[in-house]
Amino acid sequence: MNDSSTHHINLTVNGIEYPVTVDQGRNLLSVIRTEIGLTGTKEGCDDCECGACMVLLDGQPVNSCSYLAVQAQGRSITTVEGLADGAALSVLQRNLLETGGVQCGFCTPGMLLSATALLERNDSPTEEEVRIGLSGNLCRCTGYTKIVAAVQQTAVELRNG
Amino acid sequence: MTTTASTTTAPRFVRADGPDKVTGSGRYTADLTLTGALAAKFKYAEVAHARITKLDVSAARAVQGVFAVLTQDDVPDVKFGPFVQDRTLFARDVVRFEGEIIAAVAAVDAATAQRAVDAIVVEYEALPVVNDIEGALAADSPLVHTEWAGYGGVDVLVRHRNDASFASIAKGDVDKGMAEADHVVHSRYVSDGCHAVPIEPRAVVAQWEGNKVTIWTSTQVPFDARAGVCETLQLPNNRVRIIVPHLGGGFGGKCGFHYEAHVAALARAAQRPVRLVFSRREEFVAPDRRREGIVYDFETGVSADGKITARRAWLAIDNGAYTADAGFFSQLAAMHALGPYRIPNLLAEAHLVYTNHQPSGSVRAPTAPQTCWALESHTDEVARVVGMDPVAFRKLNAVDTGAEGPSGQTYGEIGLQQCIDAAVGAAGYGQALPDDEAIGVAIGWWPSFSVPSGAYVKIDGDGSGQIITGAQECGTGAVMTLRQLVADELGMAAEDFELVYQDTSVAPYDMGATGSQTLFNNGRAVVAAAGQIAEQLRSLAAEQLEASPADIVLADGTASVAGSPDRGIPIAQLAGIAASGQLLIGHGSGMPPGAPPTVGSTCVGDLGMSAWVAPQFSCHAVRVKLDRDTGVARVLHVSAAHDSGTIINPIGAQGQVEGAVLMGIGQALTEGTTYDDQGRQRNAALLEYKLQTCADAPPIDIHFVQINTPDAGPRGAKGLAEAPNVATAAAISNAIAKIVGVPVRQLPMTAERVWNTLNSFGQTGLEAQS
Repeated sequence: MNDSSTHHINLTVNGIEYPVTVDQGRNLLSVIRTEIGLTGTKEGCDDCECGACMVLLDGQPVNSCSYLAVQAQGRSITTVEGLADGAALSVLQRNLLETGGVQCGFCTPGMLLSATALLERNDSPTEEEVRIGLSGNLCRCTGYTKIVAAVQQTAVELRNG
Repeated sequence: MTTTASTTTAPRFVRADGPDKVTGSGRYTADLTLTGALAAKFKYAEVAHARITKLDVSAARAVQGVFAVLTQDDVPDVKFGPFVQDRTLFARDVVRFEGEIIAAVAAVDAATAQRAVDAIVVEYEALPVVNDIEGALAADSPLVHTEWAGYGGVDVLVRHRNDASFASIAKGDVDKGMAEADHVVHSRYVSDGCHAVPIEPRAVVAQWEGNKVTIWTSTQVPFDARAGVCETLQLPNNRVRIIVPHLGGGFGGKCGFHYEAHVAALARAAQRPVRLVFSRREEFVAPDRRREGIVYDFETGVSADGKITARRAWLAIDNGAYTADAGFFSQLAAMHALGPYRIPNLLAEAHLVYTNHQPSGSVRAPTAPQTCWALESHTDEVARVVGMDPVAFRKLNAVDTGAEGPSGQTYGEIGLQQCIDAAVGAAGYGQALPDDEAIGVAIGWWPSFSVPSGAYVKIDGDGSGQIITGAQECGTGAVMTLRQLVADELGMAAEDFELVYQDTSVAPYDMGATGSQTLFNNGRAVVAAAGQIAEQLRSLAAEQLEASPADIVLADGTASVAGSPDRGIPIAQLAGIAASGQLLIGHGSGMPPGAPPTVGSTCVGDLGMSAWVAPQFSCHAVRVKLDRDTGVARVLHVSAAHDSGTIINPIGAQGQVEGAVLMGIGQALTEGTTYDDQGRQRNAALLEYKLQTCADAPPIDIHFVQINTPDAGPRGAKGLAEAPNVATAAAISNAIAKIVGVPVRQLPMTAERVWNTLNSFGQTGLEAQS
């Protein structure tokens, strides 16, 4: 069936194309979590307020709770599951872990994607730029200190190759 | 970070659960699905106080795709509550707060379940809303529970009408102490309620097999959740299994027993697994765990040379509609209202007051941050009247090693005075600042909770180990640290051990991620369990090496003979030998230290909160900049000094302080629940209830004063996760008061409240009446 409210679309997540059938009002977050089965992307508020559901859309961070799945067709979606290279953590993932920037871990996927996008567009952010870049991701555990340190450390390591 | 003693063991610490969390492979409760699972939704009261005159669920049951609709008629008629049995799973006759559950639905999907909820017919007769904490204590106030006198409850609770728990602490002669004073300073403060706000909304999944139920749930306290299910559904402990997948934060908000029984009852009725996932609004409105609003009245007598001669404190604490775990709040708040000071004559009286608000419950250091805010703001007022610098005033009056605290407990070695020196020193207190900046200082304290706890440790034939513990990880890293304790006991590496945890059918009891108690109590348990294996390993090694067990040293993965390091055998090899003989299994609990004595005080409503095992102390010094045009306060720098005993995991400990301080800044400036005149929350969303963001967070200097306090936990560790949340808001208040001229008397100190205070005082020299 393909009535006016139902769409057959292909979503490309972490380089893999998934055919899915979705209602037109369905948000990208729920399709990623239930249809595609990648649960690393979290739902914290369903209202664009917390950033836990953040994914990259063609490299740009968006809150997937407030983005229609049908709008993501033909674009490249990156979730937290797409950050590591096989068993090897990305530099940012490793630094976040080693600095102590992970506590309960629920904001971590969104935080990693925001920070990944930030470092893509700015390879040497100041502390202020990091703080503003991550201000759409709420963390209740860490006070952000160690997360900011991990991002800055990562920028240094990536610049130094 | 600076420390006064170098006793830390792990300079670098990577969480065992870290790879799960940074790759997205770690599963939280809402990530679980079971074949055939149904979605649950609740019908809420939506009004704060009313009598149910009609409740008809027949239309909901008729919705296609609905498998179960439950009301109180469908579950055992049990009243529950840890202190006062004043609540049932579903409201039957009267609803007492807007988030009270009237009915629950399980259906094929969430949308169908919501349609069924919307089809439930409820009619009400309005009852008067008890919306004012002090007003609720008036003799002519409407009652929240007309049948209060018939409720079961803890014997020592002093209850009367809307007062669910009265507590007082008295020492000396307070009238005489006031008469002897050269100055008596009187202050009134009001703190609004606020929320824990873990980023993960709670979720529960329940599945029955035969007469046994397994419940996956986002709780901080799996054994308490199990107890609640067993009590309300009348099941024995061994037929209820609680499993907690990764837990996305708690901060107390996920303590207590919540919705596990509702979902289990739905699953039993539907004969299908059932899954409940909360929305953010439900997370704000429904749980019986939000931080309590309190009204304070302080009177402190002080001599001309700055010594406190007497203190009176009176508190009315918002209990909300049901008592939940707040029964002890009155005594604990009374302790915080007296503070860590030497006061010869005192009387603190605290009432825990029923209202038609969401029930209060233990949120990170319950009663402490707001009471510290009020007391320490008052303390600066007292110092000003005496003409003393507020830091000098605290140094003179605060407790120290060997001093007697307000409840008559004499402290062993403690580090409060050192904390004051460290925090104030690092903040540059006393330096010249622009006239829109100031440094405020406050001191705080918090108990360590000494309770039973258990764990097993086993080492398999390949030399790899498992720690099977009842402890619950909520993000703090306390459970992660257990690996280090066990490894050190056995001369092995932390990485040699995996954790098996958060499963009530596998591990012995632990109180859970509450009361900052994990390392203190479960640390004791795992050390005891590992000690049994160490003994086994020494015996095995002694046989192999032809030595005495007493001479065997376990270090670096090897058992060797003391003084002859070349005579050794790898522990993994010993584990292989044990695998074909007597297995390497240890179990531990250890006796929790008993409460210290108090002398000379009289405690009414005594729930054991006046004598503190291994108390923790802190001092925060906070530099604040105030925009006089807008009333917006910005925290520029925080210096936090803590005596939480020995720090075993420095990175984890820093993380606790950093997170708690930022939570404290939120509580100080932006986080407060507001109610409409019908007792409903007006700001139950993250845009209206503002948490601090990354861009708001200031630099935080941390100093651990590592003191060898008697009766502390493993290696001298005390608790830590709650203590750093205590003094931040108070220090911010004292900085704002320095700039404004008087304190802002309501928490949170929003820009509007600061502006109002600034303008009324700035123009007239008189304070605004709140």
